[in-house]
Amino acid sequence: MNAKKKEEDVQELITRYRPIITFRVRKALGAQNPEAEDLVSEIISQVLEKIKSGEFRGESSLGTFIYTITSRRIVDYIREKTRVMKYAPVPQAYPDPQETLETVEASQKIKEAIRRLKPKYRQVLYLYYYQELTREEVAQRLGISSRKVSELVNYALKLIRKEIKL
Amino acid sequence: MKKFHFWQVSTTKIVDKREGGSMSKCKFEDMIDGYLLNRLGQGDREAFEEHYFNCPSCFEKLQERDLIIITIKNHPEILIQENAARESLFSRLKTEVAAMFTPRQLALAGVTAVLLLVVVFALVPRQQIPAPNFFLTDEETVRGSSITLISPVIDMGQVPASFEWKKLGENVEYQVSIYNHELLWKATTKENRIILPEEVRAKMVPGEKYSWQVKAFSPDGTLIAVSSKVQFKIAER
Repeated sequence: MNAKKKEEDVQELITRYRPIITFRVRKALGAQNPEAEDLVSEIISQVLEKIKSGEFRGESSLGTFIYTITSRRIVDYIREKTRVMKYAPVPQAYPDPQETLETVEASQKIKEAIRRLKPKYRQVLYLYYYQELTREEVAQRLGISSRKVSELVNYALKLIRKEIKL
Repeated sequence: MKKFHFWQVSTTKIVDKREGGSMSKCKFEDMIDGYLLNRLGQGDREAFEEHYFNCPSCFEKLQERDLIIITIKNHPEILIQENAARESLFSRLKTEVAAMFTPRQLALAGVTAVLLLVVVFALVPRQQIPAPNFFLTDEETVRGSSITLISPVIDMGQVPASFEWKKLGENVEYQVSIYNHELLWKATTKENRIILPEEVRAKMVPGEKYSWQVKAFSPDGTLIAVSSKVQFKIAER
């Protein structure tokens, strides 16, 4: 196995898992946390190091292995911060996504798709995602069944997804 | 101890893009909303997190849903703008109307509106009854105004001296017909009253039933109105 192949594998691992680790870290610490990116890089380094040192034995999937490292590092980070700051950082509920050109464009498409939805779909999305009512609460509010709420939400998402993928 | 090297792992785990990437619905997909809206218990949350580290399909959907929810959270106006626009227009109208009138004037306007509705729905239709069809003979039917007959319209104690009906307008010629079992007498006049000639009166017998009818014609001879055929009886002496 030559060095070039090894390098390609490393790059592939990073390409595949970096977004997943980033998502997990941002979900735990908040998207605005300035240390999130550093933490992600640190986790990736740890993963590569552990694989190289043979700590990964294939007893679980690689995904689970990386998930375990990520979760432990997040817990450690929060412990460290709690000791220093007395309080753990509170993740912001719904910050703007990290503004890459791709996400801005996708977000714009989502807005356009939502604007084109019929009022009944927009109403359900508003109650379910914005007001965070449960499906049962939305059903009660609109005088329809929970099943109908699920159908409306799923169909609205389907229409939005269709627009994003165009 | 068996050691796994990164390059060995890569061929089985990393490169396998099909892992969890099937088109069929993954059972974890139903957890996406719960996870993003922080509704999962600790056990489910951890299970789902471990799952999306292993399932590219679920992770893709998770990212997509996250972006949708963030967009909704940051721009709720796109979901409510239509209703809001309607509400604001209605409330603006309400405010402007309220500013223009005093409560007394508003009440007066309300009463006027009700009266207007009564006029429109109760009175106007009566005046605009479509012109009735008049069957003059078995073959002849005309549509026109009706003529109101004034006298005689009830049983008479004696042979009537004249026949009277409501005037329709100027330059209208009326044709009056009196029937027994058949046409007894017919005459025309421009007045809304006609004196029955003596010879006709003589033909009318007490105890008999008669009927009469008036038709109106315009100056060019067009039939414009017809009365109903009213029956009357001359009482026996």
